Amino acid sequence: MSKSFRQSQSFLHTWSGLLLGWVLFVIFVAGTMAFWREGLNRWMRPEVARIEQPYTVLAGAQRFLQSKALDAKGWSIAMPNERVAGAQVYWQPQPKPGKDEGRRGRRGRRDNQALIGADGLPTIARETRGGDFFYRFHFDLHYMPVIWARWLVGVAALAMLVAILSGIVTHKKIFKDFFTLRRAKGQRSWLDGHNATAVLTLPFHLMITYTGLVTLMAMLMPWAVVANYADPDALYDQLFPRFEAQERTGMPMPLTDIGGVVRDAERRLDGPVGSINVAEPGDAAATITVTRAASTMLSSRTPSLTYRGTDGALLWQSPAPGGASVTAGAMIGLHAGRFADYGLRWLYFLCGIGGTLMVASGLVLWTVKRREKLPDPERPHFGFRLVEWLNIAVVGGFPLGIAAMFWANRLLPLALKGRADWEILALFIAWGLALVAASGLRATRAWVVLLGATGALLATIPVYNLWATPRGLVATAMQGDFVLAGIDCALVVVGAGFLATAWRVASYRPAPKRARKRPTAAAQATTPGLQVMEPAE
Amino acid sequence: MTTATGSSHANAWRRRGDMTLRIVAAVPLGYGVSSLWAMALARLLPGDRAEAAVAATLVAFALCAGAAMWAFAARSGWRAFWTLALAGILAGSLTWMSISASGRL
Repeated sequence: MSKSFRQSQSFLHTWSGLLLGWVLFVIFVAGTMAFWREGLNRWMRPEVARIEQPYTVLAGAQRFLQSKALDAKGWSIAMPNERVAGAQVYWQPQPKPGKDEGRRGRRGRRDNQALIGADGLPTIARETRGGDFFYRFHFDLHYMPVIWARWLVGVAALAMLVAILSGIVTHKKIFKDFFTLRRAKGQRSWLDGHNATAVLTLPFHLMITYTGLVTLMAMLMPWAVVANYADPDALYDQLFPRFEAQERTGMPMPLTDIGGVVRDAERRLDGPVGSINVAEPGDAAATITVTRAASTMLSSRTPSLTYRGTDGALLWQSPAPGGASVTAGAMIGLHAGRFADYGLRWLYFLCGIGGTLMVASGLVLWTVKRREKLPDPERPHFGFRLVEWLNIAVVGGFPLGIAAMFWANRLLPLALKGRADWEILALFIAWGLALVAASGLRATRAWVVLLGATGALLATIPVYNLWATPRGLVATAMQGDFVLAGIDCALVVVGAGFLATAWRVASYRPAPKRARKRPTAAAQATTPGLQVMEPAE
Repeated sequence: MTTATGSSHANAWRRRGDMTLRIVAAVPLGYGVSSLWAMALARLLPGDRAEAAVAATLVAFALCAGAAMWAFAARSGWRAFWTLALAGILAGSLTWMSISASGRL
């Protein structure tokens, strides 16, 4: 690669990385945590027991729905398994005559849901969004219209793709740099850290960014579809085929055993079932649609089967998707990692942490690199102050918010009205306090306070779990519930990491300025690799 | 003296103009060109229309990133601008000809 090409990409790398870096940071954090979405769903509902016998729970769900909503328009049951926090069931009431029911049913189904516990009976868990919050936050953010959030996330992902590709070009000695980690050397160490976290998990970063764009492709890049279709719905009907719902006959007929249908479907689909949808239960026209779980197949385009509700005869099966459709489905599947078993899931998680650290160190590097060149380091210009402030407020503040949310999940009264929203509010209140700290304190002190508080809050939750919940680390480890035990361990490790970083920042004493300037300049003259890293300003 | 400061001023403005052109070429133009190529590919790729549309969309993000990189790699901002515009016009014409020849579904 020519030197000028490398330099030309340096500007692009710096600015595409910086401008949306803070958005990318929160997306990376939330997405990394969402790999444990189901685990966190259980962890945040410690009163719900782990499901040992899925079919007992499924039968309980059917019994409950039959007594509660036999005349509903439809039911939806999340197939119980040992990963989920109880079987979530929803029902959609019959639309009132004369009222338009909307395209895909109404959203407000909060009153029409229940949780079936491990004993097959409806159970009450604390009201919380659990791990689902992080999953939605990853692309919908919060407190803003979903469509704006997704565009913001999509643009950030495109900027990320450009930053990664131009970053590869910019770092000339990419693999050599990777094996050099110079510790406690100021800017050089930040650069090495940024390189190491970036290169170590580079294939992951490229994969996760590109596949992330694919998850949003219908919104970000609708033009290829526009070129081929006057009515895009025709395409979606072809890509996501569905069994045509049958009209309600008005003739009551009992529903067959859903468990038997699911057993048959698991045989035919050659894998576990993920969700069950019943249309017009209790009627002669009832149908049961069973969809394969995404947990054992790479593609997110999961096949489904539709059975007659009265006798369980197979009516319809989804056609095999085409090559490009499977490719897109596999990309989305790779992104979400639902197929990953626990070993691979940990790898996903660690790579996500690597990506988070890459973004954070890149943001900090921007300030570290410019601080020495400031005409007056005591009074930096506005742009520098803004970046430094945002770095502290976001990189320091968002993790503090999450720690506060976890504590709110444990401490808020169980009977509190709107409890789930209060948990989320706790996140944003703590984040707001971090903003105040970032504005009011000197940079170093603000970092120490925020990192230290986050570390202390995270590391102590497992201790609280030990004596205040039935699912402390000892109990979960004894039961062989390694997901919950793993979450507690990860909290301690991550918390310790935050505390160690806070301690490092607190004890950092910059070398006297004059003594440091010269060797740096000399090093720049002798190592061409470093010069290349300078942004073309 | 006056000419020297005058020319350095002119240089600064030329650099700013060059950078502005590159940014325009990278962001709005880059997205536009990759969208037009997504349309052209959706028309031109062989096989089923739905499959072609999905495949073209999957490729489009790489084109988008490539366009942004080219906008900064090109010798000048102006060159980045007109090469990308030309690529867009080419894709647009292909799409237009294809749609007027065989229509949309």
